[in-house]
Amino acid sequence: MNVLIIGNGIAGNEVAFFLRRARPDCRITILSAERFPEYDPCSLPYFIGRDVPRDAVFRKDWQDYRTHRIQLVLDHPATAIDPAAREVTTAPGMRFGYDRLVLAHGGSLYIPPIEGIDRDGVHSCKQLGSADRLDQSGGSAAVVIGSGAIGIEAAEALKKRGYEVTIVELLDWILPALFDPETSQRLAANLEGCGIRVLTSEKVLRIEGAEKVSAVVTDKRRIPCDTVVIATGVVPGKALAQTAGIDVARGIRVDAHLQTSAAGIYACGDCVETVDACTGEDAMFQLKHNAVEQARVVARNLIGEPAAYPGAWAFARAHFFDTHAVTFGKTTRATQCELGQLEIIERDEGADYLRIITKEGRVVGGQAIGRFGDVIGLFIGAMWRKDAIPDIRANWPHIIRKGSPYPWTHRQLGESIGLKP
Amino acid sequence: MPKNNSAILLIDSEKCTGCRLCEMACSMLHHGILSPHRARLRVLRFDNGRCNVPVVCQACEDAPCIKTCPMNARRRIGNQAVITDEDRCIGCRACVYVCPFGAPVVNPDDGKTLTCDRCSDEDGPPWCVRACRDCGALKTVTAEEAVARKSRQRAEQARAAYPPKKRPAA
Repeated sequence: MNVLIIGNGIAGNEVAFFLRRARPDCRITILSAERFPEYDPCSLPYFIGRDVPRDAVFRKDWQDYRTHRIQLVLDHPATAIDPAAREVTTAPGMRFGYDRLVLAHGGSLYIPPIEGIDRDGVHSCKQLGSADRLDQSGGSAAVVIGSGAIGIEAAEALKKRGYEVTIVELLDWILPALFDPETSQRLAANLEGCGIRVLTSEKVLRIEGAEKVSAVVTDKRRIPCDTVVIATGVVPGKALAQTAGIDVARGIRVDAHLQTSAAGIYACGDCVETVDACTGEDAMFQLKHNAVEQARVVARNLIGEPAAYPGAWAFARAHFFDTHAVTFGKTTRATQCELGQLEIIERDEGADYLRIITKEGRVVGGQAIGRFGDVIGLFIGAMWRKDAIPDIRANWPHIIRKGSPYPWTHRQLGESIGLKP
Repeated sequence: MPKNNSAILLIDSEKCTGCRLCEMACSMLHHGILSPHRARLRVLRFDNGRCNVPVVCQACEDAPCIKTCPMNARRRIGNQAVITDEDRCIGCRACVYVCPFGAPVVNPDDGKTLTCDRCSDEDGPPWCVRACRDCGALKTVTAEEAVARKSRQRAEQARAAYPPKKRPAA
């Protein structure tokens, strides 16, 4: 069997190495648009912030590809797929045939249509090449456009490098997709406390400068700077599949076995639109753990096991200086338009904050800052199992004596939501 | 070759008295001091000490912490335990959050996480198991023993719940 994988990211490598362990004889080729062995995009801000050396971002080295006999073709971004002829064309014009194709090219950075965005000094932090350029460029004042996880981490990294850092967010609160405003405002206050300026509800109009960036102009002010980091989100790479006639929606559409609408073509990673494992709704969480799980399902299907993918799950953390925050499941904004009685359980104790969103007595999401984060895993478990919070309240505090399928877990959950011992 | 191979750490919370000798032993072996905050397992105490639950990394087969760690610092070692690579860990606590047991412990010295390595450098059973020999709440068993023990336990529970009835004489 000749397996061709487009994309040398987490998902692509997981497919290749999982497949190699199960099938020592098949031919595996990875087409990479970049010129590095597999690295972890999640690590890049920590390398820029000098928390870890550059070597620590790599998950594989060249030798791994050789010992596992995986052919790695660098600098060959795929440009076209011909499902009828079973061929992939790359940018340098080479053609690669395949028996099974895996689309794992992920997503690309969303570049907002801002005047001057191509100026010298405008960076991003999504790929290692761009992170290297940001790392090597000197400067003293930076503006981070966008306040997603990458934006916050990049801001922290630059602050550690001694930059004057400003975060500009278009929406009303930072980390808008991950956190509720109540949690975000606390995080923003912590960021300000660390010396990072946070500007929300502000739109960047243009980036000024002759050759090099000199300022960012928003609808409220002009911020002088010499470095701009674009962190406005990641769009799934679906154009390649779309032009080949494969079904796409927000991302590439796949069935339960992660096969696309074209036979023999599978997809996994950031480019795929799947379902939420908890709710069954369409979901696109472009997160590493989902990429790894999807890749394993694809690899198992490639070796003939009819493995089904249970779905993606939302879990993310935000961490800067000594603030530790975590979010899972849905935010309030995502649940507000749904039927069902919402109850939000909040605990606010100084620097620690817990916010659990329940619908009809079942946990659907939550956020925590500080010490409440230590028990958030138990709430994630409660969400998966659909544990009834009213039952915990009714049996309180004698859960262990009265018997429960998860006695100490429920006991700890009860204490965490503020029931007295 | 790591020690304590193929041994499963079996926890029987009903036998735990909450003496916390295991925490002491763990911190003594790994850090050279008696400090429960640095122990890689914790005993949770409920109902005024009537129920004590030792919480320790279960080294899940498909461990979520390995998948979510942004620095790929969580890795499985030879004896199947999952440990944090201290050279890579940046102290973001992703493993603490995602753990269904809340098992990883944050080292108060450097903010990096600690989890049970089943005393991979030691000959003989892990130190917590040695410390717990009077109570027997922590034991190392093989997978087969663990399964046999569990089924016997379940059978006894079922027998207690549904005592055998005398059959009516034919």
